[in-house]
Amino acid sequence: MFRAFGNQFTDFVTTLGAIIENGFITLKYIIMGQIERKELMDQCVRFGISSLPITLSIVGMTSIIVTSQVASEMVKQGGGNFVGLLVSILIVREVGAVMSGFAIISMIGSSLASEIATMRVTEQIDAIQVLKVNPIRYLFVPRVLSGIIMMPLLVIIASAFGVITGAVTTTLTTELTYKAYFDSAWIGIYMKDLSVCLLKSVAFGGTIALISCSCGYQASGGAKGVGLATNKAVVWSLVAIVIWDLIFSITFFF
Amino acid sequence: MSIKVRNLTKIFDEIKVLDDISFDVADGETLAVVGFSGSGKSTVLKLICGLIEKDAGEIITSEGDIAMVFQYSALFDSLNVADNISFALRERRDLRNKYSEEDLKEIVSQKLELVGLGGIERKFPSELSGGMQKRVSFARAIVTEPKTILYDEPTAGLDPISSTLIEDYIVRLQQETNASSIVVTHQMSTITRTANRLIMLYNGKIVFEGTPEEMLRADTPYTKQFVTASLEGPMHMVS
Repeated sequence: MFRAFGNQFTDFVTTLGAIIENGFITLKYIIMGQIERKELMDQCVRFGISSLPITLSIVGMTSIIVTSQVASEMVKQGGGNFVGLLVSILIVREVGAVMSGFAIISMIGSSLASEIATMRVTEQIDAIQVLKVNPIRYLFVPRVLSGIIMMPLLVIIASAFGVITGAVTTTLTTELTYKAYFDSAWIGIYMKDLSVCLLKSVAFGGTIALISCSCGYQASGGAKGVGLATNKAVVWSLVAIVIWDLIFSITFFF
Repeated sequence: MSIKVRNLTKIFDEIKVLDDISFDVADGETLAVVGFSGSGKSTVLKLICGLIEKDAGEIITSEGDIAMVFQYSALFDSLNVADNISFALRERRDLRNKYSEEDLKEIVSQKLELVGLGGIERKFPSELSGGMQKRVSFARAIVTEPKTILYDEPTAGLDPISSTLIEDYIVRLQQETNASSIVVTHQMSTITRTANRLIMLYNGKIVFEGTPEEMLRADTPYTKQFVTASLEGPMHMVS
Protein backbone atom coordinates (compact mmCIF):
# COMPACT_ATOMS: atom_id res chain seq x y z
CA MET A 1 0.00 0.00 0.00
CA PHE A 2 2.85 2.36 0.92
CA ARG A 3 4.56 1.55 -2.38
CA ALA A 4 1.36 2.33 -4.32
CA PHE A 5 1.00 5.62 -2.45
CA GLY A 6 4.68 6.37 -3.08
CA ASN A 7 4.28 5.68 -6.81
CA GLN A 8 1.21 7.93 -6.97
CA PHE A 9 3.07 10.71 -5.19
CA THR A 10 6.10 10.34 -7.49
CA ASP A 11 3.80 10.43 -10.51
CA PHE A 12 2.06 13.55 -9.17
CA VAL A 13 5.35 15.38 -8.59
CA THR A 14 6.74 14.29 -11.99
CA THR A 15 3.59 15.42 -13.82
CA LEU A 16 3.44 18.74 -12.00
CA GLY A 17 7.14 19.33 -12.65
CA ALA A 18 6.74 18.51 -16.34
CA ILE A 19 3.74 20.86 -16.70
CA ILE A 20 5.60 23.74 -15.02
CA GLU A 21 8.79 23.14 -17.03
CA ASN A 22 6.93 22.83 -20.34
CA GLY A 23 4.92 25.92 -19.44
CA PHE A 24 8.05 28.01 -18.97
CA ILE A 25 9.63 26.73 -22.20
CA THR A 26 6.40 27.42 -24.12
CA LEU A 27 6.17 30.91 -22.64
CA LYS A 28 9.77 31.57 -23.61
CA TYR A 29 9.07 30.66 -27.25
CA ILE A 30 5.89 32.75 -27.28
CA ILE A 31 7.76 35.78 -25.91
CA MET A 32 10.55 35.21 -28.46
CA GLY A 33 7.89 35.20 -31.18
CA GLN A 34 8.82 31.74 -32.43
CA ILE A 35 5.32 30.89 -33.54
CA GLU A 36 4.35 28.79 -36.52
CA ARG A 37 1.51 30.90 -37.96
CA LYS A 38 -0.10 28.25 -40.15
CA GLU A 39 -0.12 25.71 -37.34
CA LEU A 40 -1.49 28.40 -34.99
CA MET A 41 -4.36 29.10 -37.39
CA ASP A 42 -5.16 25.39 -37.68
CA GLN A 43 -5.19 25.01 -33.91
CA CYS A 44 -7.36 28.13 -33.47
CA VAL A 45 -9.93 26.67 -35.85
CA ARG A 46 -9.79 23.38 -33.96
CA PHE A 47 -10.05 25.09 -30.56
CA GLY A 48 -12.70 27.62 -31.44
CA ILE A 49 -14.87 26.53 -34.32
CA SER A 50 -15.07 22.79 -33.72
CA SER A 51 -15.87 23.17 -30.03
CA LEU A 52 -18.41 26.00 -30.38
CA PRO A 53 -21.57 23.85 -30.75
CA ILE A 54 -20.86 21.70 -27.69
CA THR A 55 -19.82 24.76 -25.64
CA LEU A 56 -23.03 26.63 -26.56
CA SER A 57 -25.10 23.54 -25.81
CA ILE A 58 -23.61 23.04 -22.35
CA VAL A 59 -23.75 26.70 -21.31
CA GLY A 60 -27.24 27.14 -22.82
CA MET A 61 -28.64 24.07 -21.08
CA THR A 62 -27.06 25.03 -17.76
CA SER A 63 -28.65 28.45 -18.09
CA ILE A 64 -32.05 26.87 -18.80
CA ILE A 65 -31.71 24.54 -15.79
CA VAL A 66 -30.73 27.34 -13.40
CA THR A 67 -33.21 29.91 -14.72
CA SER A 68 -36.17 27.53 -14.78
CA GLN A 69 -35.56 26.71 -11.13
CA VAL A 70 -34.99 30.22 -9.77
CA ALA A 71 -37.11 32.49 -12.00
CA SER A 72 -40.61 31.35 -10.98
CA GLU A 73 -39.55 31.09 -7.32
CA MET A 74 -38.17 34.63 -7.35
CA VAL A 75 -41.32 35.98 -9.01
CA LYS A 76 -43.43 34.25 -6.34
CA GLN A 77 -41.32 35.85 -3.60
CA GLY A 78 -41.64 39.28 -5.19
CA GLY A 79 -38.11 39.39 -6.60
CA GLY A 80 -39.05 39.24 -10.27
CA ASN A 81 -37.08 42.40 -11.01
CA PHE A 82 -33.89 40.64 -10.01
CA VAL A 83 -34.13 37.49 -12.17
CA GLY A 84 -32.11 38.98 -15.02
CA LEU A 85 -29.55 40.32 -12.59
CA LEU A 86 -29.09 36.97 -10.85
CA VAL A 87 -28.88 34.93 -14.03
CA SER A 88 -26.48 37.31 -15.76
CA ILE A 89 -24.16 37.49 -12.75
CA LEU A 90 -24.21 33.72 -12.50
CA ILE A 91 -23.49 33.25 -16.20
CA VAL A 92 -20.85 35.97 -16.59
CA ARG A 93 -19.02 35.30 -13.34
CA GLU A 94 -19.19 31.50 -13.23
CA VAL A 95 -21.25 29.38 -15.59
CA GLY A 96 -19.98 30.81 -18.89
CA ALA A 97 -16.29 30.31 -18.18
CA VAL A 98 -16.45 27.15 -16.08
CA MET A 99 -18.90 25.25 -18.30
CA SER A 100 -16.98 26.33 -21.41
CA GLY A 101 -13.86 25.05 -19.68
CA PHE A 102 -15.49 21.68 -19.07
CA ALA A 103 -16.65 21.55 -22.69
CA ILE A 104 -13.15 22.39 -23.93
CA ILE A 105 -11.59 19.73 -21.71
CA SER A 106 -13.88 17.07 -23.13
CA MET A 107 -13.65 18.24 -26.74
CA ILE A 108 -10.13 19.64 -27.12
CA GLY A 109 -8.08 18.68 -24.07
CA SER A 110 -8.68 14.97 -24.47
CA SER A 111 -7.98 15.11 -28.20
CA LEU A 112 -4.76 17.12 -27.71
CA ALA A 113 -3.53 14.65 -25.09
CA SER A 114 -4.32 11.55 -27.14
CA GLU A 115 -2.84 13.09 -30.30
CA ILE A 116 0.48 13.96 -28.65
CA ALA A 117 0.57 10.70 -26.66
CA THR A 118 0.12 8.77 -29.92
CA MET A 119 2.95 10.78 -31.45
CA ARG A 120 5.08 9.87 -28.42
CA VAL A 121 4.41 6.12 -28.48
CA THR A 122 4.83 5.89 -32.27
CA GLU A 123 8.23 7.65 -32.02
CA GLN A 124 7.01 10.69 -34.02
CA ILE A 125 8.24 13.00 -31.25
CA ASP A 126 11.62 11.22 -31.30
CA ALA A 127 11.68 11.82 -35.06
CA ILE A 128 11.01 15.55 -34.50
CA GLN A 129 13.96 15.67 -32.08
CA VAL A 130 16.30 13.77 -34.40
CA LEU A 131 15.38 16.23 -37.17
CA LYS A 132 16.63 18.94 -34.79
CA VAL A 133 13.27 20.64 -34.34
CA ASN A 134 12.26 21.48 -30.78
CA PRO A 135 9.07 19.49 -30.02
CA ILE A 136 7.89 22.02 -27.44
CA ARG A 137 8.12 24.83 -29.98
CA TYR A 138 6.48 22.77 -32.72
CA LEU A 139 3.74 21.08 -30.67
CA PHE A 140 3.08 23.14 -27.55
CA VAL A 141 3.39 26.75 -28.72
CA PRO A 142 0.57 26.79 -31.32
CA ARG A 143 -1.73 24.68 -29.14
CA VAL A 144 -1.26 26.66 -25.92
CA LEU A 145 -1.43 29.97 -27.76
CA SER A 146 -4.62 28.94 -29.55
CA GLY A 147 -6.12 28.13 -26.12
CA ILE A 148 -5.15 31.56 -24.82
CA ILE A 149 -6.59 33.32 -27.89
CA MET A 150 -9.73 31.30 -28.53
CA MET A 151 -10.99 30.57 -25.02
CA PRO A 152 -11.97 34.20 -24.25
CA LEU A 153 -13.83 34.42 -27.57
CA LEU A 154 -15.65 31.18 -26.83
CA VAL A 155 -16.52 32.31 -23.31
CA ILE A 156 -17.88 35.67 -24.55
CA ILE A 157 -20.09 33.98 -27.14
CA ALA A 158 -21.17 31.24 -24.70
CA SER A 159 -21.93 33.74 -21.91
CA ALA A 160 -23.99 35.94 -24.23
CA PHE A 161 -25.83 32.83 -25.38
CA GLY A 162 -26.38 31.81 -21.74
CA VAL A 163 -27.85 35.20 -20.81
CA ILE A 164 -30.15 35.12 -23.87
CA THR A 165 -31.21 31.53 -23.10
CA GLY A 166 -31.95 32.69 -19.57
CA ALA A 167 -34.17 35.46 -20.98
CA VAL A 168 -36.11 33.01 -23.15
CA THR A 169 -36.54 30.61 -20.22
CA THR A 170 -37.69 33.44 -17.93
CA THR A 171 -40.35 34.64 -20.36
CA LEU A 172 -41.56 31.07 -20.95
CA THR A 173 -41.78 30.13 -17.27
CA THR A 174 -42.94 33.44 -15.74
CA GLU A 175 -44.93 36.49 -16.72
CA LEU A 176 -41.79 38.65 -16.88
CA THR A 177 -41.04 40.41 -20.16
CA TYR A 178 -37.75 40.49 -22.07
CA LYS A 179 -37.45 44.17 -21.23
CA ALA A 180 -37.80 43.53 -17.49
CA TYR A 181 -35.24 40.70 -17.70
CA PHE A 182 -32.62 42.67 -19.67
CA ASP A 183 -33.15 45.90 -17.66
CA SER A 184 -32.22 44.01 -14.52
CA ALA A 185 -29.45 42.01 -16.31
CA TRP A 186 -27.58 45.17 -17.37
CA ILE A 187 -27.68 46.50 -13.82
CA GLY A 188 -25.97 43.38 -12.52
CA ILE A 189 -23.00 43.25 -14.89
CA TYR A 190 -20.03 45.47 -14.10
CA MET A 191 -16.85 46.03 -16.06
CA LYS A 192 -15.00 44.15 -13.33
CA ASP A 193 -17.15 41.05 -13.96
CA LEU A 194 -16.37 41.10 -17.66
CA SER A 195 -12.65 41.68 -17.06
CA VAL A 196 -12.40 38.84 -14.54
CA CYS A 197 -14.38 36.60 -16.90
CA LEU A 198 -11.92 37.30 -19.73
CA LEU A 199 -8.88 36.87 -17.48
CA LYS A 200 -10.27 33.63 -16.18
CA SER A 201 -10.93 32.32 -19.67
CA VAL A 202 -7.35 33.13 -20.74
CA ALA A 203 -6.08 31.17 -17.73
CA PHE A 204 -8.47 28.29 -18.41
CA GLY A 205 -7.60 28.04 -22.13
CA GLY A 206 -3.85 28.16 -21.62
CA THR A 207 -3.96 25.74 -18.69
CA ILE A 208 -6.14 23.15 -20.44
CA ALA A 209 -3.92 23.18 -23.53
CA LEU A 210 -0.69 23.08 -21.51
CA ILE A 211 -1.82 20.24 -19.22
CA SER A 212 -3.19 18.22 -22.14
CA CYS A 213 -0.03 18.62 -24.20
CA SER A 214 2.20 17.82 -21.21
CA CYS A 215 0.27 14.69 -20.24
CA GLY A 216 0.42 13.47 -23.84
CA TYR A 217 4.11 14.31 -24.06
CA GLN A 218 4.85 12.21 -20.96
CA ALA A 219 3.06 9.13 -22.31
CA SER A 220 4.85 5.82 -22.57
CA GLY A 221 3.93 2.31 -23.70
CA GLY A 222 1.35 1.59 -26.37
CA ALA A 223 -2.41 2.03 -26.53
CA LYS A 224 -2.67 1.74 -22.75
CA GLY A 225 -0.20 4.59 -22.36
CA VAL A 226 -2.28 6.79 -24.68
CA GLY A 227 -5.42 6.00 -22.66
CA LEU A 228 -3.72 6.75 -19.35
CA ALA A 229 -2.30 10.03 -20.68
CA THR A 230 -5.72 11.14 -21.95
CA ASN A 231 -7.36 10.21 -18.67
CA LYS A 232 -4.69 12.07 -16.72
CA ALA A 233 -5.07 15.16 -18.93
CA VAL A 234 -8.83 15.29 -18.34
CA VAL A 235 -8.58 14.80 -14.57
CA TRP A 236 -5.73 17.29 -14.13
CA SER A 237 -7.46 19.87 -16.33
CA LEU A 238 -10.73 19.59 -14.38
CA VAL A 239 -8.93 20.01 -11.07
CA ALA A 240 -6.85 22.90 -12.46
CA ILE A 241 -9.99 24.71 -13.66
CA VAL A 242 -11.59 24.44 -10.24
CA ILE A 243 -8.38 25.63 -8.53
CA TRP A 244 -8.13 28.61 -10.94
CA ASP A 245 -11.79 29.42 -10.30
CA LEU A 246 -11.20 29.36 -6.56
CA ILE A 247 -8.15 31.63 -6.91
CA PHE A 248 -10.13 34.13 -9.04
CA SER A 249 -13.11 34.09 -6.66
CA ILE A 250 -10.91 34.68 -3.59
CA THR A 251 -8.87 37.37 -5.35
CA PHE A 252 -11.70 39.38 -6.89
CA PHE A 253 -14.96 38.66 -5.07
CA PHE A 254 -14.10 37.94 -1.41
CA MET B 1 36.62 8.22 -38.32
CA SER B 2 32.96 9.18 -38.59
CA ILE B 3 31.64 7.59 -35.40
CA LYS B 4 33.81 6.74 -32.43
CA VAL B 5 32.21 5.09 -29.42
CA ARG B 6 34.35 4.56 -26.34
CA ASN B 7 33.47 2.76 -23.08
CA LEU B 8 29.78 3.44 -23.55
CA THR B 9 27.58 2.40 -20.64
CA LYS B 10 23.83 2.74 -20.23
CA ILE B 11 21.88 1.61 -17.21
CA PHE B 12 18.07 1.21 -17.07
CA ASP B 13 16.52 0.34 -13.70
CA GLU B 14 19.88 -0.81 -12.31
CA ILE B 15 20.43 -3.14 -15.30
CA LYS B 16 23.46 -2.43 -17.47
CA VAL B 17 21.94 -2.55 -20.94
CA LEU B 18 25.28 -1.47 -22.43
CA ASP B 19 28.39 -2.28 -20.46
CA ASP B 20 31.55 -0.45 -21.46
CA ILE B 21 31.34 -1.04 -25.22
CA SER B 22 33.65 0.56 -27.81
CA PHE B 23 33.57 0.53 -31.59
CA ASP B 24 34.26 2.72 -34.62
CA VAL B 25 32.50 3.33 -37.92
CA ALA B 26 34.61 4.71 -40.76
CA ASP B 27 33.47 7.30 -43.31
CA GLY B 28 31.18 5.64 -45.82
CA GLU B 29 31.12 2.38 -43.90
CA THR B 30 28.00 0.46 -42.86
CA LEU B 31 28.16 -1.28 -39.51
CA ALA B 32 25.48 -3.75 -38.48
CA VAL B 33 24.64 -4.06 -34.80
CA VAL B 34 23.15 -7.48 -34.22
CA GLY B 35 21.89 -9.49 -31.30
CA PHE B 36 18.76 -10.85 -29.69
CA SER B 37 15.77 -8.66 -28.94
CA GLY B 38 16.46 -6.68 -25.78
CA SER B 39 20.23 -6.82 -26.16
CA GLY B 40 20.55 -3.02 -26.30
CA LYS B 41 20.89 -2.58 -30.07
CA SER B 42 18.34 0.22 -30.39
CA THR B 43 19.75 1.85 -27.25
CA VAL B 44 23.05 2.29 -29.12
CA LEU B 45 21.26 4.28 -31.83
CA LYS B 46 19.27 6.39 -29.38
CA LEU B 47 22.47 7.27 -27.54
CA ILE B 48 24.29 8.23 -30.74
CA CYS B 49 21.51 10.52 -31.96
CA GLY B 50 21.02 12.03 -28.51
CA LEU B 51 17.51 10.81 -27.75
CA ILE B 52 18.72 9.42 -24.42
CA GLU B 53 21.65 10.32 -22.17
CA LYS B 54 24.58 7.97 -21.63
CA ASP B 55 25.66 7.02 -18.12
CA ALA B 56 29.35 6.74 -18.99
CA GLY B 57 31.67 6.76 -21.98
CA GLU B 58 32.15 8.90 -25.03
CA ILE B 59 30.47 9.24 -28.43
CA ILE B 60 32.26 11.28 -31.07
CA THR B 61 30.63 11.82 -34.46
CA SER B 62 31.96 13.76 -37.41
CA GLU B 63 30.41 17.17 -38.05
CA GLY B 64 27.10 17.23 -39.88
CA ASP B 65 23.64 15.92 -39.28
CA ILE B 66 22.74 12.55 -37.86
CA ALA B 67 19.63 11.00 -39.40
CA MET B 68 17.61 8.12 -38.09
CA VAL B 69 15.20 5.75 -39.78
CA PHE B 70 12.84 4.43 -37.13
CA GLN B 71 11.63 0.86 -36.80
CA TYR B 72 8.03 1.72 -37.64
CA SER B 73 8.94 4.69 -39.86
CA ALA B 74 7.58 7.31 -37.41
CA LEU B 75 6.14 9.41 -40.23
CA PHE B 76 4.02 12.35 -39.07
CA ASP B 77 0.53 11.05 -39.76
CA SER B 78 -1.06 14.50 -39.89
CA LEU B 79 1.27 15.61 -42.70
CA ASN B 80 1.37 14.40 -46.28
CA VAL B 81 4.44 12.78 -47.81
CA ALA B 82 5.85 16.05 -49.17
CA ASP B 83 5.49 17.83 -45.82
CA ASN B 84 7.00 14.84 -44.02
CA ILE B 85 10.08 14.92 -46.22
CA SER B 86 10.50 18.70 -46.13
CA PHE B 87 9.72 18.92 -42.38
CA ALA B 88 13.29 19.66 -41.25
CA LEU B 89 13.80 22.21 -44.04
CA ARG B 90 10.60 24.04 -43.06
CA GLU B 91 10.86 23.83 -39.29
CA ARG B 92 14.54 23.88 -38.37
CA ARG B 93 15.62 27.36 -37.32
CA ASP B 94 18.88 27.22 -39.29
CA LEU B 95 17.17 26.00 -42.47
CA ARG B 96 13.66 27.42 -42.50
CA ASN B 97 14.31 30.53 -44.57
CA LYS B 98 16.90 28.95 -46.82
CA TYR B 99 14.56 27.36 -49.36
CA SER B 100 11.70 28.72 -51.45
CA GLU B 101 8.53 26.69 -52.01
CA GLU B 102 9.85 25.82 -55.48
CA ASP B 103 13.15 24.61 -54.00
CA LEU B 104 11.31 22.49 -51.46
CA LYS B 105 9.14 20.91 -54.16
CA GLU B 106 12.24 20.11 -56.17
CA ILE B 107 14.09 18.60 -53.19
CA VAL B 108 11.09 16.48 -52.17
CA SER B 109 10.70 15.24 -55.72
CA GLN B 110 14.41 14.37 -55.95
CA LYS B 111 14.43 12.46 -52.66
CA LEU B 112 11.28 10.57 -53.59
CA GLU B 113 12.80 9.58 -56.94
CA LEU B 114 15.87 8.36 -55.07
CA VAL B 115 13.74 5.90 -53.10
CA GLY B 116 11.66 4.96 -56.15
CA LEU B 117 8.43 6.67 -55.10
CA GLY B 118 7.95 9.58 -57.47
CA GLY B 119 4.47 11.16 -57.61
CA ILE B 120 3.17 10.33 -54.14
CA GLU B 121 3.78 13.79 -52.63
CA ARG B 122 0.11 14.44 -51.77
CA LYS B 123 -0.57 11.06 -50.17
CA PHE B 124 -0.76 10.64 -46.41
CA PRO B 125 1.21 7.96 -44.51
CA SER B 126 -1.96 5.99 -43.77
CA GLU B 127 -2.47 5.55 -47.52
CA LEU B 128 0.93 3.84 -47.97
CA SER B 129 2.09 0.26 -47.43
CA GLY B 130 4.67 -0.53 -44.72
CA GLY B 131 7.47 -0.76 -47.27
CA MET B 132 6.50 2.55 -48.89
CA GLN B 133 6.32 4.25 -45.48
CA LYS B 134 9.80 2.97 -44.75
CA ARG B 135 11.11 4.39 -48.04
CA VAL B 136 9.45 7.75 -47.36
CA SER B 137 11.18 7.75 -43.97
CA PHE B 138 14.48 7.13 -45.82
CA ALA B 139 13.75 10.18 -47.98
CA ARG B 140 12.93 12.26 -44.90
CA ALA B 141 16.14 11.10 -43.20
CA ILE B 142 18.44 12.13 -46.06
CA VAL B 143 16.81 15.48 -46.82
CA THR B 144 19.41 17.39 -44.77
CA GLU B 145 22.33 15.51 -46.40
CA PRO B 146 23.41 13.79 -43.17
CA LYS B 147 26.90 12.47 -42.56
CA THR B 148 25.60 9.65 -40.38
CA ILE B 149 22.48 7.53 -40.96
CA LEU B 150 21.12 5.22 -38.28
CA TYR B 151 18.63 2.48 -39.21
CA ASP B 152 16.59 0.84 -36.45
CA GLU B 153 15.49 -2.59 -37.70
CA PRO B 154 14.73 -1.29 -41.20
CA THR B 155 13.24 -4.55 -42.48
CA ALA B 156 11.19 -5.45 -39.40
CA GLY B 157 7.65 -6.47 -40.24
CA LEU B 158 8.17 -6.43 -44.01
CA ASP B 159 7.67 -9.30 -46.43
CA PRO B 160 10.86 -10.85 -47.92
CA ILE B 161 10.59 -8.94 -51.23
CA SER B 162 10.00 -5.59 -49.55
CA SER B 163 12.92 -6.42 -47.22
CA THR B 164 15.20 -7.00 -50.21
CA LEU B 165 14.06 -3.70 -51.73
CA ILE B 166 14.77 -1.85 -48.48
CA GLU B 167 18.19 -3.50 -48.23
CA ASP B 168 18.95 -2.35 -51.79
CA TYR B 169 17.96 1.20 -50.87
CA ILE B 170 20.21 1.15 -47.79
CA VAL B 171 23.14 0.25 -50.04
CA ARG B 172 22.08 2.83 -52.63
CA LEU B 173 21.74 5.62 -50.08
CA GLN B 174 25.12 4.75 -48.65
CA GLN B 175 26.62 5.05 -52.14
CA GLU B 176 24.76 8.27 -52.96
CA THR B 177 25.48 10.07 -49.68
CA ASN B 178 28.75 8.41 -48.63
CA ALA B 179 27.37 8.66 -45.11
CA SER B 180 28.49 6.35 -42.34
CA SER B 181 25.66 4.06 -41.39
CA ILE B 182 24.70 1.86 -38.49
CA VAL B 183 22.02 -0.74 -39.15
CA VAL B 184 20.42 -2.40 -36.16
CA THR B 185 18.98 -5.72 -37.24
CA HIS B 186 18.67 -9.39 -36.47
CA GLN B 187 17.83 -10.39 -40.01
CA MET B 188 20.62 -12.35 -41.72
CA SER B 189 19.84 -11.04 -45.22
CA THR B 190 20.05 -7.43 -44.01
CA ILE B 191 23.41 -8.15 -42.37
CA THR B 192 24.96 -9.88 -45.38
CA ARG B 193 23.53 -7.52 -48.03
CA THR B 194 24.09 -4.14 -46.39
CA ALA B 195 26.91 -4.29 -43.84
CA ASN B 196 30.66 -4.00 -44.29
CA ARG B 197 31.22 -5.02 -40.68
CA LEU B 198 29.16 -6.03 -37.68
CA ILE B 199 29.23 -6.18 -33.92
CA MET B 200 27.17 -8.66 -31.93
CA LEU B 201 25.78 -7.62 -28.54
CA TYR B 202 24.84 -9.87 -25.67
CA ASN B 203 24.36 -8.94 -22.02
CA GLY B 204 25.48 -5.41 -22.79
CA LYS B 205 28.88 -6.54 -24.15
CA ILE B 206 30.25 -6.95 -27.66
CA VAL B 207 30.71 -10.70 -28.05
CA PHE B 208 31.79 -10.67 -31.71
CA GLU B 209 33.22 -8.13 -34.13
CA GLY B 210 34.07 -8.78 -37.79
CA THR B 211 32.71 -8.88 -41.31
CA PRO B 212 29.51 -10.75 -42.20
CA GLU B 213 31.61 -13.42 -43.94
CA GLU B 214 33.75 -13.83 -40.82
CA MET B 215 30.62 -14.23 -38.73
CA LEU B 216 29.30 -16.95 -41.01
CA ARG B 217 32.64 -18.80 -40.85
CA ALA B 218 33.46 -18.11 -37.21
CA ASP B 219 33.62 -21.03 -34.84
CA THR B 220 32.46 -19.20 -31.72
CA PRO B 221 29.44 -20.34 -29.69
CA TYR B 222 27.78 -16.92 -29.99
CA THR B 223 28.00 -16.61 -33.77
CA LYS B 224 27.08 -20.27 -34.29
CA GLN B 225 23.98 -19.90 -32.14
CA PHE B 226 22.96 -16.65 -33.87
CA VAL B 227 23.51 -17.94 -37.42
CA THR B 228 21.69 -21.22 -36.79
CA ALA B 229 18.99 -19.50 -34.68
CA SER B 230 19.46 -22.23 -32.12
CA LEU B 231 17.99 -22.29 -28.63
CA GLU B 232 21.11 -24.13 -27.47
CA GLY B 233 24.12 -21.96 -26.73
CA PRO B 234 25.50 -19.30 -24.44
CA MET B 235 22.86 -16.68 -25.30
CA HIS B 236 19.50 -16.85 -23.57
CA MET B 237 16.48 -14.69 -24.17
CA VAL B 238 15.22 -12.81 -21.16
CA SER B 239 11.77 -14.29 -20.54
